[in-house]
Amino acid sequence: MSTHSLNTEEETESLDSEISTIRAELQTLHHRRRILTNSLLTSRPFQRLAKSQSQSQTTATAPRSSQKWTDLSPLLHSSALHADLNHHRIAFSTTAFPFTDPSPSPVPSEAKKLIGLRIDICARDGSYVKPYYILLRKGVLHLSTGSDAEERTGKGGRVLYVHRHTVPPVVDVGALERVYLPRAGGDAARGEEGEQLKPWKRSPNKKKQQDLKGFLREVRRQLVVWHVRCDGVRYLRERLGVVKRGEGQDADADEENGVWERDVLAEEPNQESRIARNDLGIVALAATALEAVYVRVEWADGRVGRFKISNAGLVERAVVMGDTGRDKLMEAVMTGGNGRLETLLDRWRKHASELRGSAAAAAAAASVGDGASQTASEA
Amino acid sequence: MARSKSIRAPTTASLPSNLRIPSSTPSLVKTFGKLTRQALLDLVFQWLEDGNVQHFPPYLQANEGGKREEEGDDDGLRPYPAERTINGVRNAYQELQFRKGGKREVIDRILEGDWRHGITLRQLAMVDLRYMDDHPSGLRWTALELARIDNPSSNESSACIPRVHASTFLSSLQQQISPLVKAHYHLARSTSLPLTVLRVFVTASPYQTAPRQSAESLTDSSRTIYVAFPDSCPFFYTSMASPQTASKASSALPNSLVATDVRSLQRLVRDAIPKALSLPHQRYTVKPTSLTAKSLEALLALRGPGRSNQANGAFSIFADAALEGSPLDPRPSNTVSPEEHNRQLGSVRSRDSAGKENTATDAKEATLETRRASKRSLADSKEPGTSKKRTLALQSRFGTSGTLSSAPLDRLDVRLLDALPGDAKPTEHAQQPTVSLAFAGTDVIGGIRKLVELGVIDAERMPCWMTGEEGVSVLAVREGRRVSKAGR
Repeated sequence: MSTHSLNTEEETESLDSEISTIRAELQTLHHRRRILTNSLLTSRPFQRLAKSQSQSQTTATAPRSSQKWTDLSPLLHSSALHADLNHHRIAFSTTAFPFTDPSPSPVPSEAKKLIGLRIDICARDGSYVKPYYILLRKGVLHLSTGSDAEERTGKGGRVLYVHRHTVPPVVDVGALERVYLPRAGGDAARGEEGEQLKPWKRSPNKKKQQDLKGFLREVRRQLVVWHVRCDGVRYLRERLGVVKRGEGQDADADEENGVWERDVLAEEPNQESRIARNDLGIVALAATALEAVYVRVEWADGRVGRFKISNAGLVERAVVMGDTGRDKLMEAVMTGGNGRLETLLDRWRKHASELRGSAAAAAAAASVGDGASQTASEA
Repeated sequence: MARSKSIRAPTTASLPSNLRIPSSTPSLVKTFGKLTRQALLDLVFQWLEDGNVQHFPPYLQANEGGKREEEGDDDGLRPYPAERTINGVRNAYQELQFRKGGKREVIDRILEGDWRHGITLRQLAMVDLRYMDDHPSGLRWTALELARIDNPSSNESSACIPRVHASTFLSSLQQQISPLVKAHYHLARSTSLPLTVLRVFVTASPYQTAPRQSAESLTDSSRTIYVAFPDSCPFFYTSMASPQTASKASSALPNSLVATDVRSLQRLVRDAIPKALSLPHQRYTVKPTSLTAKSLEALLALRGPGRSNQANGAFSIFADAALEGSPLDPRPSNTVSPEEHNRQLGSVRSRDSAGKENTATDAKEATLETRRASKRSLADSKEPGTSKKRTLALQSRFGTSGTLSSAPLDRLDVRLLDALPGDAKPTEHAQQPTVSLAFAGTDVIGGIRKLVELGVIDAERMPCWMTGEEGVSVLAVREGRRVSKAGR
C-alpha cells in the first residue's frame, strides 16, 4: 500500500517536472520566434521592399497589393522605428527622448515636460548593461524678483536641472551637476554673499553657463571607466579561476590554499568565492569596493598587495608588503611594462619564470662556490 | 564573572570580546530564546569551527586538571556532564541537530553545559546579529548621508565615498568614544543583505568591570546600537531604539544615576562615526536624509548602492529598466513586458543559471498574469471603460514600484503647508494652518497603490509624494511638491 502510494507520488513528481521542462521549452521557442519575426521585419531587404512598395503605392494605387501592405504596415513601421532607435543607441551611446511627468502640477504646461537622457554601455561580453537614465527638468530662474516675471519674458531664464536619475552613487551626479549645470539663481545669491565676505575672490560660478554636453560627457565617461575597471578585475579573476563556495567540494586538498571571500563585483554579493590554485601563488584577488578603484591581492607566502587602477585602465600604483617589508621588485613588475591591467598576469608569469631562471642559475653557481651562491641569492 | 583584582583604574580600552557574562544570568535565556533552534545550532557550530574555537572555548573536563576530583561528584549531578574534547562537544550538538525537539534543550545545553563558565560579549553580539539577519525588520533604521566638508573644488567627484578599512575604522571610532563611555564593538557581515553591521554595546562606567555593574546591564538591549554600512555609497544606517524597549529599560533600572540614557548614547556614537571615517584633508559630516524605516531592504533601495536612489514612484520604470531592452533587442519595446525587460537585462551575466531561473520566473509570471486576468474580469463586469483607464493611470503613476521592486515604508509623515482654498491673502504666514498626515502600516506606498487600484484614490489628481517618488518618510509639501525647508 505504502509502496504503491510512493510510486504514484514519484510518478506525479516526474510528470510534473516533465511538464515544467516542456513549458520552459515552449517559452524559449516562443521567445525565439518573436526574436526571429522581429529580426526579419527589421532586416534591410525587407524594409527596402516595404519602402519601395509604399512609394509605388502613393504614385500608382494598386488595389491588391495596397490591401496587403497596409495590413502589414503598422508592424513594419514600428519595427523600422525601433531599429532606427537601436542604431542610434548603439552608435551614439547617449541618446535623448522626451518624457512627460505624470504627476499633476499647478503649472501644467512646461514643468511636466522632461528631457530624458539614456546612456548605453557595452560590457565585456558584448551585451549591454541596463541603460542609465537622467531626467532633466527645465526650470525658470528662481531669483528674488519673482519667477513670474522671468516666466513672462520666457527667454534666457531657462535652466536645466537634474530631476531624477538612475546613476548609482559610484558616480556622484550631484557634484557633476554643481560643476556643469550651475543654477544661476542659487549660485548668484551665494556668490554675492561670498563677495561681501571675501571681495578679493571672484566667484567662478556666477558667469558660468550651463554646459549640458560637458555634463553628459563627464557622466558617461565616469560610467564607462567604472565598467571598464569592473570588467578588468572580473577578467583577471576569471583568468586565475574562481571557485564558488558550495559548488566545487571535490578540492579538499585545496582547503588551506584559498581564502573564502565575498566578491563585491559578483552578481550575488553574498556568495563567497575564492581564487583557484594557480602557478602564481595568488590566493586572493578582489576589488575592495564596488567602485573597483583599488584591488587587493594576497599571495600564498603571506605577501599582501594593493594596487590602484587608473581611469585609463592602467595599474597606476602598487604596494606589496611582505613579512620582511616592502617588495619593491614586485611593485615595479606590476606597474611596469605597458602597465595595462589586462596584461598583469602575463607580467607576473614572466617575472616568476625569470625568478625561477635566476634560482636555477644560483643553484648551478652553488656547486661552484659558496660566495657565488650568496651573491646570487642576494641579487 | 567578577574578577578578583585589588586595584581598579579607569582605562580607555574597549571592553574585551572575551569578557564573560555568568551563564546563570536570567536574561541570557531570553536573549538566546529569540533565536530558533536551527539558528542556535548554526551559531554553536560556528563557534566550534577550527578557526574560531579558541575564541569561544567550551568548558572541557580536561581543562580542570587538579580540581577534577572535587568537581567529580558535582559533575554527576549536573544534567550535562562536561565533554573531554572539542570533537565530543561537536558530536553532542550534531546529535541535537538530527533529533527533533524544542530550542529550550539547546539553550540549556549551551548555558548549563558547554559554556557554563560564561558567555562572552562576542558570543552575545553574534546572537544579536543572527537575530537581526533572521528578522530584518526588527529595528527601526534611520538613513544618514556622509558628505565632505571641505570640497568646494575637488575634481575627483567619485571621491565622496569613504573607503573603510574595518580595523582602522574601529580603532579610530574607539578613540572617539572611549573618553566618554566604555564600549564593546563587533563588526560583522550580514548574511542576507549587502551590509556590514557594526554593533556597539555601551556601558556607562570607565572601569573594566565594576562590581556594581551587574551582569544584567551587560545584556541590556537598549544599550546596544547598530550601525549598518551598505557597500560603496555615501550613506549609513543607524538603529533607533524602539520606544517601548527604552521605557522598559528605564523602568527596570530606576536607580541608574548616570545620565547615559539611550538617546544621548546614540548621539555619541552617531557623532563619532563621521569623525572616525575622516582622514586628514578629507573630513566628513553627517547629513539627515529624512528617511526612517523598519525594512533594511527599503533603505537599501532608497539610500543604497544601486540605481533606485533617485528614481522612484513613476520613475521606477527607469530604475528597473522596464521601459526598454538592450539596443540589440530587435523587438519593439512596447511589445515586451516590463518583467521580461528587467529579467533579460538583469541576468546577462548569470546566464548559466538561466534554466533554473526561467521556470521560477515563468511560474511567477503565470500567477501574475492569472491574477491580472482575474482582476480585469472582475473589473470588467462592473465598469469596463474606467477600469482600463484606471490601470493605465496606475501604471503611469506608480511605474513598476510594488511589482518589480519594492521599498516598504512602515511610516510616512507629511506636513501640508498649503493655504486654505478660500484664503485670498497668502502673505499671512502666522495664521496659516498646517495639516499633518501620518500613514502607518507594513507598506504604506503599497497600500496607497492598492487604494488607487480599487478606485478609492484618483490616480491622475494624486500628488506625486503619494507614489513614493521622493523616497523619504518625512516631508513637507506645498502645492503638491516637496519643499526641502519649511521656510521656502
